[in-house]
Amino acid sequence: MAGTAPRTLVRSPSRIAELPASHLDKALTIIGVLETDGEVHVHGSVLGRINADRLVVGSGGYVEGDVVARDVKIGGRFNGRIFAFNVTLDKTADVTGRIFHHFVTVERGARIDGRMPWRPLNFFESFDQLPETQP
Amino acid sequence: MTMFTRNDKPEANGAAVTPARDKVEVPPPPPPAPTVIEPKRPQSAPVISSVLASTSSSSTLTTGAPRVSVISKALKITGQLESTEDIQIDGEVDGDVRGQSVKVGASAKVKGAVYGDEIEVAGTVDGKIEAKKVILTSTAHMSGDVIHQDITIHSGAYIDGHCKPDFGKSETKKLVSVKPAVVQ
Repeated sequence: MAGTAPRTLVRSPSRIAELPASHLDKALTIIGVLETDGEVHVHGSVLGRINADRLVVGSGGYVEGDVVARDVKIGGRFNGRIFAFNVTLDKTADVTGRIFHHFVTVERGARIDGRMPWRPLNFFESFDQLPETQP
Repeated sequence: MTMFTRNDKPEANGAAVTPARDKVEVPPPPPPAPTVIEPKRPQSAPVISSVLASTSSSSTLTTGAPRVSVISKALKITGQLESTEDIQIDGEVDGDVRGQSVKVGASAKVKGAVYGDEIEVAGTVDGKIEAKKVILTSTAHMSGDVIHQDITIHSGAYIDGHCKPDFGKSETKKLVSVKPAVVQ
């Protein structure tokens, strides 16, 4: 798992628009690495790494591991690290770990246990390898 | 008397409060801790609808009636998938897939075993298939054994492997015995 280096967060918007979103229902459990240039909706659970353009974790969803994406929206449980330009935490979010962000929105009611370091734009633009920080 | 007012009093009145406290002695009931937020969790509908509203591209995937997981063609998964419901694979999966009804779309590539009740293959599967009902459509490319009870092979389908009508016999016994071992 550690071998797969995440791609840069900057992708051409025209290419992304054509890609259909993946939808992981609440009955689905995935253990492993998810990689896409498009969108992923998680309503089930994912244990592992997610590289995507946009990640949405639904209110019943659970993600454990590292996430690298441009946009991240969390309404469920999350445990791990988020590296994302835009991060939105819904009121049902329950996040443990670190959220590396440039823009963050937290709705009242969201539970956050961890740090939320701000990073400049170029941190996300030149994103070839995950920093070895402890979650 | 809440936690907050109890803390305020000693600051305001000083030493006079301590005897009063001894007299009362009855501890205030512990305030219902911050778990009040929990009941909000189950209501998933507003969150999903807002998610769908914000993403116009995915609005076709209505979360209502068809309860199917979709692995779109842009997604590559390395690892195992397990679901008690249906899975539609259009992307790439490098690992085992377990589901109720598994559909491997024409653009899909699966490298690993596929287990299910009903499996429909229109794409590429490199590994074995174990299912009660197997359908290989004309665009299917199947390399590996197929263990089935009921199989449909359309003209044009590619198969490189054995087809055994053993599902529900010796092979499934193995599957059943494996599952409780994992639970223990």
